[in-house]
Amino acid sequence: MRVNRVSGRVLEGPFEPVYVYEAPVRFWHWTMAICMVVLAATGYLIGSPLPAIGGEATFSYFFANIRMIHFIAAMLFVVLFLVRIVWVFLGNHHARSIFVPPVWSAEWWSGLFSQAAYYLFLRREPHHWVGHNPLAQFAMFAMFVLGSIVIVLTGLALYSEQYGWGSVWMNAFGWVNVLLGGSQMVRTVHNLAMWYLLLFAIVHVYMVFREDIMSGESVIGTMINGIRMFKRAPR
Amino acid sequence: MSDTYYDLMRRQGISRRSFLKFCSLTAASLGLGEAGAQQIAQAMETKQRTPVIWIEGLECTCCSESFIRSAHPLAKDVVLSMLSLDYHMTLSAAAGEQLRANAHETIKKHKGNYILAVEGNPPLAEEGNYCIYYGKPFVDVLREYAKDAKAVISWGSCASWGCVQAAKPNPTRATPIHKVITDKPIIKVPGCPPIAEVMTGVVTYMLTFDRLPDLDAQGRPKMFYGQRVHDKCYRRPHFDAGQFVEAFDDEGARKGYCLYKVGCKGPTTYNACSATRWNEGLSFPIQSGHGCIGCSEDDFWDKGSFYDHLTTIRAPGLANLGVEGTANRIGLAALGVAGAALAAHAAVSAIKQASSRGRNDRVSDVEK
Amino acid sequence: MATYQTQGFTLDNSGKRVVVDPICRIEGHLRIEVNVDKDNVIRNAVSTGTMWRGLEVILKGRDPRDAWAFVERICGVCTGVHALASVRSVEDALGIRIPKNANIIRNLMHATLYAQDHLVHFYHLHALDWVDVVSALKADPKKTSEIQQAISPWPMSSPAYFREVQNRLRKFVESGQLGIFNNAYWGHPAYKLPPEVNLLATTHYLEALDFQKEIVKIQTIFGGKNPHPNWLVGGVPSPINVDGTGAIGAINMTSLNQVKEICDRTIEFIEQVYLPDLIAVAGFYKDWAKIGGGLAGQNVLSYGEFPEIANDYSNKSMYFPSGVILGGDLAKVQDVDLKAPDQVQEWVTHSWYKYAQEQNGLHPFDGVTEPNFVLGPNTKGDRKEIKEVDEAAKYSWVKSPRWKGHAVEVGPLARYLVAYARGHKEVKEQVDAVLKQLDVPVAALFSTLGRTAARGLEAQLAARKMRQYHADLVANIKAGDLATANVEKWEPSTWPAEAKGVAPCEAPRGALAHWVKIKGGRIDSYQAVVPTTWNAGPRDARNQIGAYEAALMNTPMARPEQPLEILRTVHSFDPCLACATHVMSPEGEELVAVKVR
Repeated sequence: MRVNRVSGRVLEGPFEPVYVYEAPVRFWHWTMAICMVVLAATGYLIGSPLPAIGGEATFSYFFANIRMIHFIAAMLFVVLFLVRIVWVFLGNHHARSIFVPPVWSAEWWSGLFSQAAYYLFLRREPHHWVGHNPLAQFAMFAMFVLGSIVIVLTGLALYSEQYGWGSVWMNAFGWVNVLLGGSQMVRTVHNLAMWYLLLFAIVHVYMVFREDIMSGESVIGTMINGIRMFKRAPR
Repeated sequence: MSDTYYDLMRRQGISRRSFLKFCSLTAASLGLGEAGAQQIAQAMETKQRTPVIWIEGLECTCCSESFIRSAHPLAKDVVLSMLSLDYHMTLSAAAGEQLRANAHETIKKHKGNYILAVEGNPPLAEEGNYCIYYGKPFVDVLREYAKDAKAVISWGSCASWGCVQAAKPNPTRATPIHKVITDKPIIKVPGCPPIAEVMTGVVTYMLTFDRLPDLDAQGRPKMFYGQRVHDKCYRRPHFDAGQFVEAFDDEGARKGYCLYKVGCKGPTTYNACSATRWNEGLSFPIQSGHGCIGCSEDDFWDKGSFYDHLTTIRAPGLANLGVEGTANRIGLAALGVAGAALAAHAAVSAIKQASSRGRNDRVSDVEK
Repeated sequence: MATYQTQGFTLDNSGKRVVVDPICRIEGHLRIEVNVDKDNVIRNAVSTGTMWRGLEVILKGRDPRDAWAFVERICGVCTGVHALASVRSVEDALGIRIPKNANIIRNLMHATLYAQDHLVHFYHLHALDWVDVVSALKADPKKTSEIQQAISPWPMSSPAYFREVQNRLRKFVESGQLGIFNNAYWGHPAYKLPPEVNLLATTHYLEALDFQKEIVKIQTIFGGKNPHPNWLVGGVPSPINVDGTGAIGAINMTSLNQVKEICDRTIEFIEQVYLPDLIAVAGFYKDWAKIGGGLAGQNVLSYGEFPEIANDYSNKSMYFPSGVILGGDLAKVQDVDLKAPDQVQEWVTHSWYKYAQEQNGLHPFDGVTEPNFVLGPNTKGDRKEIKEVDEAAKYSWVKSPRWKGHAVEVGPLARYLVAYARGHKEVKEQVDAVLKQLDVPVAALFSTLGRTAARGLEAQLAARKMRQYHADLVANIKAGDLATANVEKWEPSTWPAEAKGVAPCEAPRGALAHWVKIKGGRIDSYQAVVPTTWNAGPRDARNQIGAYEAALMNTPMARPEQPLEILRTVHSFDPCLACATHVMSPEGEELVAVKVR
């Protein structure tokens, strides 16, 4: 199989299965997905708490537990995200793709537009890609990677606040506060970033199902066993 | 021979004992302990009073009013025994030419050694003529008095951030001090107004230790603005328990539950209210049943309703069309739109797929 | 325009010009310019507000439930009055009815401000116009003690006490760093108090500075802080819980006890210190009962205050009644209707704003606030430094409100005159007693001294009302009523698509109302007509002068370069703290600048 090295477009066959997502990446993907669900759910509840519960405050730690779960999932998310960045250097060529979209490549851009045209039903058939197609790559970068960076930084900034100015945490992340003009803005951006990531998530889920069904490539299975299958030859 | 604070207090009839008591109270209020008290006592015994020029721009005088509410130390003692308040719009007995002469004399005599305290801020629109001082734009007077000052204290949220007159659309272009005076150390003491004891505490600290207080990244003294109202709030256990006031005067309100859901900004507001409290430690907004409105934070007027702890985001220029909401509302709406778009996309895809499959089938038939 | 007549005054701006500089709409910076004739009598007076913050513009499009916090920041001295006016107006617009407890607590907080604000005004903003601090050093503390004991049972009256204060003062003066007392008019011949009374008043200056912070603690208990306590549309934010679990998080027995104690101490201080001092000082300045009357003897306006019945702002409910007196006719008090389009109107003919038709006034519901900073052709100086304004053109950031086209005075004196004319029992008793004690006729009220005296008397009534409201609150709680807020119409979804409202309020400085229009849950228009607008406002389309301007007319000045007389009269209106005033020669060269505290 001949593939364009920069954009990943499949140029010609034969179309044997390709090992795309290595095990750590797959493990990372699914753990990350669980984290995001937990974070979104607890985060939403922190922003819009459930109706007050009664009883004696001493015996209840309900809201604090929600926050605790949020913090644990958040720390896991941060670690996973950092691990993923390390994997950019350790992993294969595909491990890099969503972090460094080859915006300098004309071929990549043309692929991005052709894929967009395909999704807008302006093109009957897509090209075939190894790994992410350029549009997916772009979405991954702009929505998932950048969104995650924003939500991680604002999240850590909010987490730092409980330690107060002058603490190690604040020294590390207090600048986010200053940059955004205060704690209230940090929360708002954090909250917005959650919706941005959720928006990414639903588009992502839709696309993988659609592609799995409609394109000639395996998609969901690839994230499970790592192997991209080609069901039929690209036109 | 100039007098030290101690000489002055002694000669004003304050006993050595009550002087030392004052020092330890001040030290305690600054969290310094016995060693700090001795340091304060020593400082006050050896220094003469620091000259202060206190001017007011676009403001409401709540800072001056708060200042005279100070109980430890009493405003009276600050004015008579600690500072030499040579120019103060609210308290000075002298008027006009004499008062202006006071300012000029202080600037000349104590060049580089006086403190400029600014309450309020200068408007820059209309060439500064939304606030006129001696017939001149206030901003010109501010620059003139700041030129030879040792340091500038920005009293309150007006001077520190801009406050109410700088809320959107800021018709007068009211501008905080640090954006006009850029070559002097500036200590921001935000709040609308700041707590009285925080104001006198900042001043006393500077006099006692002869240095500027340690500031955070936004220029506020860490000792008072290092933590959020939330971090020291006595209602925090109810927050952790998930016990919230759902509406004013409900059962939870009467039990003193957390005010987070009725808009308390304590979790995003850096101030000493929950620990130092107001008016001699009597109460603070949350204790009296109203959420914190975040009055010591930058731009707190434009962060949405005081009764929603989530910010209302208003699309610039579109707010009048009703394009606004909290991040959750905007997010849900965006998700809804995206969901609908995807459903439509899925439908079109299915139709295309079906028709294309049909066509392919026909083609195959022909090929056969 | 050399000479013209209006409201019984002859204005002549041909004489020497004396300038007095800064108040914003309510608070901040005021400038006064006058022309004096060859005998140094004021023949023309010009009041210029030199500060504008644009809050009406800022409020547009905001949540009406938030408005109180914005407008509260109009003024930090009479803190809370704008918040009160705002929540009342929003409640009027939306048809929200507040619980009885909320009404009592609001009254209590408001009366607290009256007592504190009047006290601070008398001692810290006004007294130094009459009291020579340096002369107090010459006093015999023993004699001061005798005077004190003769006029009041106040316990702080020993010769040793006054000697101690005198010593502190002396050492302060001798330190060479006079701070707030530096470079003032000490020794000016207009100061007429004997040294002993000066020492008495100076001592109480310091005592009052300590005590004023105690009074406001009532606002802290119910509103969480002072200055700028918190308020709530639909009631008050502080819940009541006197016997249940968690009562310590609400208004409980200890808070009620604290309030009671503060009320008692306030009454004591006002009756044993403030009023005796006021009478003692006034006795030496009786000539000021003939100076500075201005509009007081003609037109005065009060909206009424302290609704004794919740949600009822009619005279049936108001402790201080509303009304308008025109032409000094105490026999005929007219009723005020804030919604009537022909009653309260604002002109901008001489203000730095723009109307489509500037010859007409606009009712606040139709109000427009669009800045337009232009200087008249006869202005001396320029936009970088105004030396003299041109009163024939626009000259102030303050609008000119009028009642049915009449310029009126507002404030404690106006409230007292309306109450007196309406036969208010306590007011009548107080006023008659003081007139008798000072041996002056009723007409003496229409003066600088009358304004200052009315304020003192009102502080006493306010303090007594504080105690009554505390008792009312306790009685109502005892009857089982704990409600402090009505949240039935809290959600904007329960509001009509369009609504407008206004409710009366009397700030310590006078008649105050906010006119609010709400559309789609947002503020569509917001106009505040505040006491200082009534009093400090410039001329109108018919060239009628405002209350400050009128009060200054025909005042003889001893030395124009030391315009103590201007300070006395302007201060008698209590034009807020930070108002600088300065004086220039006819050539525009500065003679002297005067600071109005």
